[in-house]
Amino acid sequence: MKGRFKTLAVTLAASCATMGMPAQADNHTGPSMADIMNDAESTGDVLSYGMGPWQQRYSKLDKVNTQTVKRLVPVYAASLGGEKQRGQEAQPIVYDGTIYVTGSYSRLFAFDAKTGEKKWEYNARLPDGIMPCCDVVNRGAAIHGDKIIFATLDAHLVALNRETGKVVWNKEIGDYKAGYSATAAPIIVKDMVITGNSGGEFGIVGAVQARDVNTGELIWNRPTIEGHMGTLRGADNGITGKTNATWQGDLWKTGGGATWLGGTYDPGTNLVYFGTGNPAPWNSHLRPGDNLYTSSTVAIDADTGQIKWHYQTTPHDGWDFDGVNEFIPFDATIKGKKMQLGAKADRNGYFYVLDRTNGKFIGAHKFVMQTTWADGINPKTGRPNYVAANRPGAPEAAGKGSTVFASPSFLGGKNWMPMAYSQDTGLFYVPSNDWGMDIWNEPIAYKKGAAYLGAGFTIKPIADDHIGALRAMDPKTGKIVWEYKNAAPLWGGVLTTGGNLVFTGTPEGYLKAFDAKTGQELWKFQTGSGVVGSPVTWEDGGEQYVAVMSGWGGAVPLWGGEVAKTFKEISQGGSLWVFKLYSE
Amino acid sequence: MAYGRRAFIGGLAASAGALALPRFPSAAPLANVRELGVLRVGLYDNNRPWSWEEGGKVHGIDADIARAVAEKFGVRTDLALFPADEEVSDDLRNVVWRGGLLGFRKCDVMFHVPFDRDFAAQQDQVAILAPYYREGFGAACGDGMSACEGVPTEFRGKKLAAEIDSIPDFYLIGNFGGILRPSVTHYTTGYDAVAAVKSGEADLAVATDAQIEAALANAPGDAGKRRKGPLPAMLSPGWDVGIAVDEKSRSLGFAIEEEMDAMMADGRMAQIFAQHGVQWRPAAAVAPAG
Repeated sequence: MKGRFKTLAVTLAASCATMGMPAQADNHTGPSMADIMNDAESTGDVLSYGMGPWQQRYSKLDKVNTQTVKRLVPVYAASLGGEKQRGQEAQPIVYDGTIYVTGSYSRLFAFDAKTGEKKWEYNARLPDGIMPCCDVVNRGAAIHGDKIIFATLDAHLVALNRETGKVVWNKEIGDYKAGYSATAAPIIVKDMVITGNSGGEFGIVGAVQARDVNTGELIWNRPTIEGHMGTLRGADNGITGKTNATWQGDLWKTGGGATWLGGTYDPGTNLVYFGTGNPAPWNSHLRPGDNLYTSSTVAIDADTGQIKWHYQTTPHDGWDFDGVNEFIPFDATIKGKKMQLGAKADRNGYFYVLDRTNGKFIGAHKFVMQTTWADGINPKTGRPNYVAANRPGAPEAAGKGSTVFASPSFLGGKNWMPMAYSQDTGLFYVPSNDWGMDIWNEPIAYKKGAAYLGAGFTIKPIADDHIGALRAMDPKTGKIVWEYKNAAPLWGGVLTTGGNLVFTGTPEGYLKAFDAKTGQELWKFQTGSGVVGSPVTWEDGGEQYVAVMSGWGGAVPLWGGEVAKTFKEISQGGSLWVFKLYSE
Repeated sequence: MAYGRRAFIGGLAASAGALALPRFPSAAPLANVRELGVLRVGLYDNNRPWSWEEGGKVHGIDADIARAVAEKFGVRTDLALFPADEEVSDDLRNVVWRGGLLGFRKCDVMFHVPFDRDFAAQQDQVAILAPYYREGFGAACGDGMSACEGVPTEFRGKKLAAEIDSIPDFYLIGNFGGILRPSVTHYTTGYDAVAAVKSGEADLAVATDAQIEAALANAPGDAGKRRKGPLPAMLSPGWDVGIAVDEKSRSLGFAIEEEMDAMMADGRMAQIFAQHGVQWRPAAAVAPAG
């Protein structure tokens, strides 16, 4: 087995070298830092989550285009096997003839990119005591040199040798017993692997951490809640924010703000951008103040771990609108001025454009049908115009209290699934959902065996014909240029290409391609289970390939109600699908 | 004293108002337990004085009751400590009727489940039965706390302690116009909050009756006493505590309930509570009328 593997690797390395891959004396050394930073330009590989440090999910490849896409056919489907057919939210990495993809339950697979044959598989040994709040997904790996790195449900970061699948290092990034977990794809910046953290348990505090990619040793740690001390190379590195400026009492110590979706990087400003989760406790009346830096984007200097700016999308959140969504850098000319910008489609239903050098507000527009909690964003302050009557009430002993209808629901106008930006059309393609929730105080609640005052809620559709909507947004005007409506909630990432195409998957099982300018649906393929992963594309031997994971799951099926009707017939799965153009 | 059979089964029975249910003929789940020689019991981790791990051993009132029941069955116990999820209904799914997604095996029975008609009506996969204790919230005060029996607004400026994200927490930080909020220090458990009072670290803690009595009896330090009067505007009137089994294993549940009834009747139940410093209070559902 070992012998066969070696031969295969050598053959592939040789064939790649003749194809004009990024200049590499020997592909065994793997992608360099320069290669990874150049990922958005290089077409023969996919070296990072989001396809480049900006994570625009744009490829200039155009062989598959509006004319040819009807000839797109599967090359193979590779099963992740076993009984773990659940929630495949990963984005593949493609390098040196190998596709690396993470699976649910903290697994990592290496497949031959041409044939789909499995090279190796790594199964993280998870303690059976962990009960992850929000399904058992993983969103992808990072590649650097000879290593492929991913995070596990028990809050470890694991670096494997990319050719053998053997563990190089394995570091605990949080205590799973205290409720920490990890599902996001790490990013690689300046030979560091940078991650956020996650956890459903009460009392966790968000943080961003940078580690030496070769050893896993911590370089800096930056908590996202004011009052907590950061570190740089083992030494104190200043407190985040100012203690008790926007929190009362000691609530900041357990303030939430988990960075569970990872971040993006802008080499120009040397800033990493991480979104932060909602504050704790859940009921906003118990924690007056803005509760910084929850429900925000924080921009952190990649060298020092210091926060350079922050922008809070939902100050004093009361709806579970966490602000983890990806902040995607892009350049545009606004009113004749060239601007360095970034965009974020927030859980709260607004699409924000900020100056990425300083966090200054440029614009914010609704990207969902309805936002009951706020009536627009004030352009002077950048803060939402709250609708006071639509904030859920304070907990009280007597009865249910009043029911508030809130839209978007707590699963958000957009959840984890990443949007894409086309450098050709200048549009963002936002996978969104139109749904609301009835929310009330629930006096008959119990937690840890004791009486508790929780919140009851029912998620419900707000339109007759759809919940999911893929929307093309013009970031300069906030106008929705086109939209595609989908019956079930959209839960997968988006890819856009130089072929004037936009790809995304649906829970109904289709991978679909749309005209990037008009939104016209041009192609679809049924993968056999719901698609909640993020598609990628690359070129090999003069042919353009498209790949996506299929396997229904994630947070949506955990919540029932009326919404569940749209996906109750969908089967579980776990396969990597790879496509290319059919030729005679 | 004799305790009649009471159960909330599969939500439907409860909503139909049928509290006393006939014994079902199938005893297979109990036979299974006997055959395997082990009763697998789900207990909350880090839930002193009910269940917690120390020195590699599981301690607590619930652990001791489970051991006593298993001994009567002639089997050993497999005490599985699990972390609490967001709500008890999640725990019932993880521990009683489905099991964890990552390999946590479902248990034969889970202890410390609220015995509440409305709550049970929402749980259609489990039978909730054997109410064995009446829980409520109170306060413990340090020796220097002169306002111990006063109205809560008099607690202002004192060092207050509560378990994070609990009713005692909401009571202190959410009531009285929020004036107590800056004075509250949060602890992982109510037991720890009361232990802080006993060690002199805090002036007053709000916690459950069992947490207060157990920590005042067993935590290090000398300070501390129980507030005698009820807390005004407390957000919960108290609740009964019972057990839960899979809806399909109700015969096992009845067998456990029978043993627990016997323990309540002959004083062994009160004895177990006393060993942990807690006074046993019968559940309201079984307390003799009058």
